[in-house]
Amino acid sequence: MSVAPVPSALPESSSDGFARLSRTRFLLSNEFGLILLIAAFALLFAVYTSGFLSVFNLFSLGRNAAVNIMIGLAMMTVIVTGGLNLAVGAIGVCAAMGCGWLLQILGLPWPVAILGGLALGAGLGAVNGWMVVRTGLHSFIITLATMSIFFGVMIFLTRAEAFRDFPEAMTAFGKMRLLTYLSPLLLLTFAVALALAWLYRFTVTGREMLAAGANPAAAELSGIRVGRAIILCHMLSGLLAGIAAMMLVTRNGAAIPSMAGQLGQDWLLPAFLGPVLGGTLLQGGKVSVLGTVLGAFLVTMLSSGLLMLQVGAFWVQTFLGLMLLVAVLLDKARRSWLARRNLA
Amino acid sequence: MTNLARLSRTDWFGPLLATILAVLLIQSLSANFLSAYNIQILLLAIAVNALVAYSQMIIIAIGQMNLSVGAIGGLAAISFAGAMEVWGLPAPLALTFALLIGLGCGALNGVLIRITGISAFVITLATLSIFKGINLGITEAQPFYGIPEGVKRFGGAVLVGPVPWLLVPTLLVTAILWFTLRRLPVGRFILAVGSNDHAAGLSGISVGRTVIIAHAISGLLAAIAGVLVVARLQIGQPSIGDDWLILSFAAPVIGGAILAGGHVSTTATFLGVVIVAIITQALVLFSIDPFLVQVVLGVLILAAVGLNKLRAGAATGGR
Amino acid sequence: MDRSPIFEAVGVQKAFPGVLALKGVNISLLPGSIHALLGENGAGKSTLIKIITGVHQPTAGQLRLDGQAATFGSPRDAIARGIGVVHQERNLFPRFSVAENIHLERLAMSYLRPVDYAALNRAARPWLEALDLDIDPATPVSELSVARMQLVEIAKALSLQSRVLLLDEPTASLTSSETDRLFTILRRLRDDGTSLVFVSHKLEEVQEICDRVTVLRDGANACESRSMEGVDRKQLVQMMIGRSEGAGAWRHRDRRDQPEVLDLAGVDTALGHRDVSLTVRKGEIVGLYGLVGAGRTELAKAIMGQFAVTGGEVRVNGAPVKIRSVAEAIHRHRMGYISEDRKSEGLILQHSVLANAGVPIWRRLAQAMGSLTDGRVRKVASPFLTKLEVKTPSLAQSVGNLSGGNQQKISVAKWLAANVGFLIVDEPSVGIDIKTKAYLHDLLRELADNGTAILLISSEMPEMIALADRIMVMDEYRIRGEVTNSGVYAEISHRIMDRIHDAPQPAA
Repeated sequence: MSVAPVPSALPESSSDGFARLSRTRFLLSNEFGLILLIAAFALLFAVYTSGFLSVFNLFSLGRNAAVNIMIGLAMMTVIVTGGLNLAVGAIGVCAAMGCGWLLQILGLPWPVAILGGLALGAGLGAVNGWMVVRTGLHSFIITLATMSIFFGVMIFLTRAEAFRDFPEAMTAFGKMRLLTYLSPLLLLTFAVALALAWLYRFTVTGREMLAAGANPAAAELSGIRVGRAIILCHMLSGLLAGIAAMMLVTRNGAAIPSMAGQLGQDWLLPAFLGPVLGGTLLQGGKVSVLGTVLGAFLVTMLSSGLLMLQVGAFWVQTFLGLMLLVAVLLDKARRSWLARRNLA
Repeated sequence: MTNLARLSRTDWFGPLLATILAVLLIQSLSANFLSAYNIQILLLAIAVNALVAYSQMIIIAIGQMNLSVGAIGGLAAISFAGAMEVWGLPAPLALTFALLIGLGCGALNGVLIRITGISAFVITLATLSIFKGINLGITEAQPFYGIPEGVKRFGGAVLVGPVPWLLVPTLLVTAILWFTLRRLPVGRFILAVGSNDHAAGLSGISVGRTVIIAHAISGLLAAIAGVLVVARLQIGQPSIGDDWLILSFAAPVIGGAILAGGHVSTTATFLGVVIVAIITQALVLFSIDPFLVQVVLGVLILAAVGLNKLRAGAATGGR
Repeated sequence: MDRSPIFEAVGVQKAFPGVLALKGVNISLLPGSIHALLGENGAGKSTLIKIITGVHQPTAGQLRLDGQAATFGSPRDAIARGIGVVHQERNLFPRFSVAENIHLERLAMSYLRPVDYAALNRAARPWLEALDLDIDPATPVSELSVARMQLVEIAKALSLQSRVLLLDEPTASLTSSETDRLFTILRRLRDDGTSLVFVSHKLEEVQEICDRVTVLRDGANACESRSMEGVDRKQLVQMMIGRSEGAGAWRHRDRRDQPEVLDLAGVDTALGHRDVSLTVRKGEIVGLYGLVGAGRTELAKAIMGQFAVTGGEVRVNGAPVKIRSVAEAIHRHRMGYISEDRKSEGLILQHSVLANAGVPIWRRLAQAMGSLTDGRVRKVASPFLTKLEVKTPSLAQSVGNLSGGNQQKISVAKWLAANVGFLIVDEPSVGIDIKTKAYLHDLLRELADNGTAILLISSEMPEMIALADRIMVMDEYRIRGEVTNSGVYAEISHRIMDRIHDAPQPAA
C-alpha cells in the first residue's frame, strides 16, 4: 500500500510561535511553581534560623532528600499506570533485609549482596504487577494485601532482628562528603532521575508505559503489550524502592526491619508527596520526573526547616499533611485557570 | 437445591460457612479453642475490629476509600483519654467530645473531597497525616494514664459468661448500621451514590451531602472504636489506630463488598471480622509466629477480592 | 392542527469552544404525538437532546413550556418540569428493587424516615401494569432483561409525571419482538396524551411509529416539526444527508482474482461466534453488516487477537496462524483496527497528536537500547497527517482538544503510517461531519485501490453500499449470508434485511 506521502507542511513544534507558547507554559507550570516555593522557603529558613545554611545541615538535607526523592520516584513509576503501590515501604525493607542476609548469613561480597537486594525489590514489584495484570483488580487492593504479606514474611524470616555488620565500604559511602557538603547519595538520585526522564521521553518502553497508563484499551489495540508494560512499571517501582532502602542502609550502617515503620507505612507519605506535589493527580499516563524530584525536595527541606524553627518534631507531620492539601488545591485552581484560558 | 443456590448468592453465606468450618476445624485440633477464656478474647477483638471495618465499609459503599480511619480513631482515643486526664471531664462528656471529634474529622474529609473534587485517596492521605500529626503534637507520643476507674471497669467487665460489655456497643452499632443500609433513605442514598452517582443525582439525591454524611459516619465509627480500645487497654495510647488500615479493608472485602461502590453487607462484614479474629486466635493457639498474622490477612484479602471478582463476572468470556 | 405544543425550542444555538454545534434550531412537541428526531452523527442531535433535558444551557434562543419561557439549570430542573428521558445507557441501580428504582425520587424527601417497602411495591405496581410489565416490584433490577430494564426506566419517568418523554435509541439493543412490544406501549402512551420524542437511526421504525418529524443536519433544521404524512424514506434520507443516498460514489470493482489476505474458515471464538467464515482479498473492501449487538466488533477484536479463537482456522496471506495478542497481529501480521469507540479505545486523548499517530510504529523505529526520538516518529508520521489534512495547531497538541473529524483522521493516519496490509474499520463515520465522512470514504477507496484489504463494519446501510465490494451479514454472532454489492440501495438493503430476518427468531 502506498498512499503517497506528501512532504510535510504541518505547523511544526519548532516554529517560533510554539517556542514562545511553551515558555509561557513553563512559567505557568507546576514545576516552576515548585522552584519558586523552594527558593522562597530556602530564603525564609536562611533568614530566620541560624543553622539552616550550615555545612552539616546542607549535607544532611541533601542526604535525606536523596532518599525521599527516590521513594517518590518509586511511587511515580506506578502512578504512571494509573495505579499506586502501597507496598513501596514493605518492598524497600525486604530489599534491605535481603541484602543484609546475603552479606551476613551467606557471607557474599557486598556488591553482590546489594545487587541481590535490588533484584529482590524488583522481583517483589514484578509479583505485584503480575497480580494486578492477571486479576484485573485495582493495584490499590493488590498492593495493600502484598504490603502485608511481604512485610509479614520478612519479619517471620528475620525474627524481626536487624543486620548490623555492614562492611566499611558501604557505610563510608553513606557518610562520604563531596565538596564538604554534597552527599554522593544525592548524585546517585539525580542520576536515577535523569535515567527515568530519558526512559519516558526517549525510549519505546517508556512511551509504551505512558500509553498503557493513559488508556490501556487503546494502547492494546495499537499493538502495545499492556500487561508487560504494567508489570515493568511495578518492577521498576520495586527496584527504586530497593535503591532507596540501600541508601538508608548505607546511611544507618544497618538493615533494620522497622526502618520504614509498621508494614513500611512510614514511606507512604513521602512516596505520595513527591509525585502529587509534582503535579500528578494520580490519573496515569502523564509523568513529571522533574516535578517529583522538586516536590520531594521541597518536602524534605520543609521538614528540616520546620524542625530548625523549633516547631516540634511531632507537628511536622501535620504540616506535611496540610502542605499536601494546599498543594493539590493550588494545582486544581491552576489547572482550572489554565483550562479557562485554553492553555492546558 | 434452588434454595441453596439462592443462599450461595447472598453475601453472608460464604463467610458464614467459612466461619463454621474454621471453628469446627480448629476445635477438633485444639479442644481449648472454645474455652470461655478464648471466646472472651475473640469477642474483645471482634468488638473493636468490627467498628474499624464498618468505618471503612461505609466509605467503600460510596465507592471511595478512607486512609485516615486509623488516624481518626487514634485522635478520638487520645481526645477521650486526654479530656479525662487533663481537663478532668467526666467520662460521658469526654466520650461525647471524642465522638464529636471523630464525626468532625470524617465530615471534614467529606467536605474536602466534595468541594475539591480530588480523589478520596489523596485527600484522606493528607488528613491521615494531619490527624496523626495533631495526635503526636498533643501527646508528644506519650500515653495518657489517667483513665477513671469506671471506664476501666467497663473495659474489663463481662455481661454474661464470656461475653464482654465492650461487645454491646458494637452489636448496637451493627444493628443500627444494618437498618440504615437496608431501610433508611440515607443508607439507600449512600448505596445509590456508590452504584451510580450520576443516576443518583438525576433521582433527586444530593450526591454531595450523601458523600459528606458517609464520611461523617465513618469518622464517628472510627472514634467509637478508638474509645473502646482506650477502655480495653486502660490507657490512652497515641499509637491506637496505627495498624487498622489493612484490617479495615480486609473484613468488608471478605464480606463481599465491591470496591467500586454500591454494594456492601453489614452482616457479611461482621462475619469477615469474625473470620479474621478466629484465624488470628488460632495462630496464637497453635503458637505459630504472630508475625504471620499479617501474611494471613494479606492472603485473605487477595483470596476474597479474587472470589468476589469471580462471583461478579462468572458469565463474561474472554481469555 | 390546533393542538398547542407542550414544549418548544425556538432558535436554539449552542456554541462549544471552537464549534457551533447548533445554529438556531427549532422543534415543537405536541401532546399525544410521537416525534422523530433524526440526523446523522454529528448533526447536533445529541446536543439538542442535552439542551432539552437540561444538561447544557443554550447559548442563544429560547425553550418554552406550555408557551411560557423556561430555563433548565440542570437535568433535575428538566425532570421536575415534566421532561423525562430514557438514555441509551441505563440509569438504574442494579441491586435495588424495581419498586425502589421507580420511586427513589420519593425517598429523597427525607433522610431518616424508614422505607416502607410494602407501600413502595404497591405504589409501583400501577406503573408496571400500565406498561404491561409482569414483574414483581420487589425483584432486583439486575435480574431483568435489558428490554425490561428499559421499561422500568420508562415507568420511572412516567411516575415523575413526565409529559414529554425522550427515548434515545430505545430499540438499539432490543430483539424485534421486544421492539414490537415497546411500540405497542409507546402508542398507548401517545393516545393518553404524552408527547414522545423518538431518536433512532432505524428509519423503518421511525416510519412505523412516528407521526411527526424533525431532521437536523449540520446543526440546523433540515426540516422542522412537520407531519410524517407523505414523507417517504427517500425524503428522510435526503434531508439527513443533504443529497439522495446511494450509488453516486460506488463503482464496481472485481477482486476475485486477487490473493486472500485474511481468511476465516469455520471460526468459533471465546465470545460466542460460531462457524464464521469470511475472506478478504488484496484490495478488496468487504462489508460486515449487522445490527448493534450482532457481534461484529467482537469478531474484529477476536481477529486482532484480543479474544481467543477457539475453533476453525484463521489464515493470513494464505498461511494458517494463531494470533495470541493484538501486538502480534499488528507487528507480525501487519493488521490494523480502527475502533468504533475512538475516545476510549482508539486514541489516547490526553497524549499528543504525534504520540497517537506513532504508537504502532514505535517498535519499528526504535534504535539501540530501545531509544527513540520524537524526530524519528515525526519523519514517518507527519506526511500522513498532512495528507489527511489533520487540522491541529501543532503536533504537540493533545488529541482530546481536537474535533471528532480530526480525531478520526488521526486514527486513520496511524495505520497508514504503520503501512498495514489488512485494516478493520469499525463504524468509521461515528461523530464526524459530512465533509470529513465523504473524504474518509474516498480515502478508504484509494487505500483499497492501492492494495490494502479492508474489512468495513458499519450499521449505516448507505455507507456500506457506497463502499463495500461484498457485504457479509452478521446476526447473533453468526454469518447469515453474503450479498454482492450492486450499488443499488433499494435492492441491496432489501436483500440484507432478508438475510437477517430469515434467521430463526429466538424464543423471546
